Amino acid sequence: MGIFDRSTEGHVTPPVEVTLERGAIAFFAETIGEADPVHLDADAAQAAGHPDVLAPATYAVVVGTFAGQKAARQDQPDLLTLINGDLRVLLHGTEAYDYHGPMYAGDTVSVQNEVTGFSDPKGGKLEIAHVTTRITHAERGPIVTATRGIIHRLG
Amino acid sequence: MTITPQNAQIGDMIPDHKFGPVTRKSLALYAGASGDHNPIHIDLDFAKKAGMDDVFAHGMLSMAQLGRLVTNFAGQANVRHLDTRFTALTPVGAIVDCTGEVTDRREEDGETLLTLKLAAHIDDGTQTLKGEAIIAV
Repeated sequence: MGIFDRSTEGHVTPPVEVTLERGAIAFFAETIGEADPVHLDADAAQAAGHPDVLAPATYAVVVGTFAGQKAARQDQPDLLTLINGDLRVLLHGTEAYDYHGPMYAGDTVSVQNEVTGFSDPKGGKLEIAHVTTRITHAERGPIVTATRGIIHRLG
Repeated sequence: MTITPQNAQIGDMIPDHKFGPVTRKSLALYAGASGDHNPIHIDLDFAKKAGMDDVFAHGMLSMAQLGRLVTNFAGQANVRHLDTRFTALTPVGAIVDCTGEVTDRREEDGETLLTLKLAAHIDDGTQTLKGEAIIAV
C-alpha cells in the first residue's frame, strides 16, 4: 500500500542552517512578478525601514528547499528522498504558513522538518505525507511554521 | 470606496490580483528561483513519460500570487497566516486570477484581525487554489 516510507512518521531532520542572499531573494521576487522594491533592492528596503531586502511571503518554501539541497550536498537525504517521494505521481496538496516574524537577506536561519504522519484519502487512491517545517532565527526565535501535504496519485 | 483593512467589513471583496499568462519561461524561471527542480514542471519528456499531456505550473507559483494579493492589501508585516489547498492543475497559458473575500472581523488580544477567504481561478473558470489568510489591521 502506497509509496511513501511510512517508517519515517515522527522523524525530525537535523537542523540545517541557511543564509538568505539578496540576489536569490530578488530573483524569486522578480520571477513571481513582485514589484515592491523592498523585495528587490537593499537601498529601497532600508529606506522603508527594513535592515535589508525582505523575503516575500512564500519565500519560506524556498528556504526549506535550499535547506534540503544543502543537506543533500552533505550526503544527508532531503525530505522527499527521506519519505520516498516519487516525482512521477507527486502533487502538492496543501501549504500553510504561520508567520512569527520577517526574514531578510543576510539572515542565517535554522530549518527543521518533521514528518507528522500519513493519510490515505479517497479510498486509497491518494496517499498524503504531512510535514511541518520550522524556520527559526538564533536571536529572533521562530520565524515561520510551514505545514505541507504532499500527495501521491495511486489510483 | 476602496476597501482597506481599516474599513473592510464581512462580505467585502479585497482588490483582486491577476498573474500570467503562465509561460514555459515562467516555469523555468520559477524552478531556478525557488530551487524546485521537479522535472514535471519543466521537462516535457519527463511529463509525458509520467502520463501527462504537458508540463504544468508549480502550485507554489500560484500560491505566491495569493501571497501578493494578501500583502498588497494588508502589508506583509500584518500577515499572520496564509494557507491554501491546490484543487486543480494550472496549465501552461493560464491567467491566474486571485480574489479574497472578508469572512470575519474580530477583536483578539487587543488587536483587530480579519479572515480572508482566498481563491485562484484560471481563465477557463476552473478553481485552482482555495485558501485563507488572517491579517492584523
